[in-house]
Amino acid sequence: MTIDRAAVTAMLTSAARLLADDSDHLSQIDSRFGDGDHGITISKISKLILERLPQWGDESIHDFLDALGMAVMEVKGGSAGPLYGTMIGGLGAQLGEEETELDSAAVKRMFSGCLAEMEDITDAKVGDKTMMDALIPAVEAAQAAEGSPKDILDVAAAAAEAGAKASEQFVSKYGRARSYKEQTIGTPDAGAVSTALFFRGLAQGL
Amino acid sequence: MKMKKFINAPDALTDELLDGLVAANRGLIHRGEENMIINNALDNVDRVTIVTQGGSGHEPAISGFVGEGMVDISVVGDVFAAPGPQACVDAIKLADKGKGVLYIVLNHAGDMLTGNLTMKQCKKLGLNVVKVVTQEDVSNAPRENAEDRRGLVGCIPTYKIAGAAAAEGKSLEEVAAIAQRFADNMATLAVAVRGATHPSTGAALADLGEDDMEIGMGQHGEGGGGRQPMRSADETAEIMVNALLKDIGIQSGEKVMLIINGSGATTLMEQLIIYRRCEQILNEKGIEIVANYVGELLTVQEQAGFQMFMARMDDELLRLWNAPCRTPYLTK
Repeated sequence: MTIDRAAVTAMLTSAARLLADDSDHLSQIDSRFGDGDHGITISKISKLILERLPQWGDESIHDFLDALGMAVMEVKGGSAGPLYGTMIGGLGAQLGEEETELDSAAVKRMFSGCLAEMEDITDAKVGDKTMMDALIPAVEAAQAAEGSPKDILDVAAAAAEAGAKASEQFVSKYGRARSYKEQTIGTPDAGAVSTALFFRGLAQGL
Repeated sequence: MKMKKFINAPDALTDELLDGLVAANRGLIHRGEENMIINNALDNVDRVTIVTQGGSGHEPAISGFVGEGMVDISVVGDVFAAPGPQACVDAIKLADKGKGVLYIVLNHAGDMLTGNLTMKQCKKLGLNVVKVVTQEDVSNAPRENAEDRRGLVGCIPTYKIAGAAAAEGKSLEEVAAIAQRFADNMATLAVAVRGATHPSTGAALADLGEDDMEIGMGQHGEGGGGRQPMRSADETAEIMVNALLKDIGIQSGEKVMLIINGSGATTLMEQLIIYRRCEQILNEKGIEIVANYVGELLTVQEQAGFQMFMARMDDELLRLWNAPCRTPYLTK
């Protein structure tokens, strides 16, 4: 089994819907120590993805993800736009320009591309209470996973969820939440939670 | 508590304030695509140009300093939020008049992300741009960890110095080196006595109670005493001046720039009382104030408090600070 363009569309559609459904919950988490707007920004990102997918023309998967990422970066409302844009563009970054059928090895490259692009723009590591708490374990689990593309996506989603859960125990090192130091223990990072939803959505769409 | 602000729709705040800024300064600036504020003279310049970015809600910063001798294009995000990288790349392309672009970014998480993404894209496109980061808040990290320091009001004199260096016809490398030298020798400490409300959401940004003030954000306690009972103007000035002198390592006989920047709701009366005491202290120590500013440059809505900024000056930096400029909120 491989992932083609229709499958990528289904994955992104599913991820966008899952994010939109949970946006109120994301804002609620973010309002404790952040600006309280993560869910609003995530809704805008979700809406943009759902608008762009039907406009997918002749571009390859690589090129479409690149363009979608650039568009998402411009979504206003704090860092989530640039971060999600980088993550989405990263999914395509290590795919061949004309690659049309993605096998398990290609799916692993989607994850490693995602991480490489994010590491280019942030120094955040696991434990800093950011999206990386979900992303890094997801990518590592994907690299170690065996089986079909669907198996790899499932394993990555589960690892992202465990990472987001673990972020509850971390002290915030980035953004506005940082000034709350130890008070942030007990609340997960809103970005890590949304990242886990994004990966769960991708897996469910397949 | 209900927010008592003269606004229309929360979503339209940035758009409407930029319209107002341009309407009040049509001879100096105009609006571009994607929330850009552009120097009217930009089309006809033959020099290094200056681009910056940042959220709205800090007026007159940052767009109030667009004009000849300071910033050529500012790219504005939402309230307190950085703009996206594509808008910044577009601004850099638009600003480049063949001599390159100096791109000044304040150290805040969102701005730094956009800054990194913008530089990545500029590199891909082969654009001639150098980024300088202002990070001078002494309260949230020691000087050795400058990457952890927030960018406060120091961006404004950095724009002035860089803009003047560009106007002198210096190369991009020279303009960047001068801006960096100034940025490396500056420090800011902020004190707040009452927090602001977010103009879009109405949420309180800080709660300092009835009797307290907070010097710095007190994150590691390096900068001042952190949260403490309210003190007099003179006592507050002494704590802050001494923290800044210590941080930059200014010695007797040196020359400094001193800025008292009101955060939005502290009166000019109070700012002047503070400035007066700062000058007395520096005089006693044999340190000369050769450049100054007292008033609002970068605010945080109706936050009460001020930022005290100090920088080590030399003859070249002083010449550049005193050089002509014409912007909505600073003219020399």
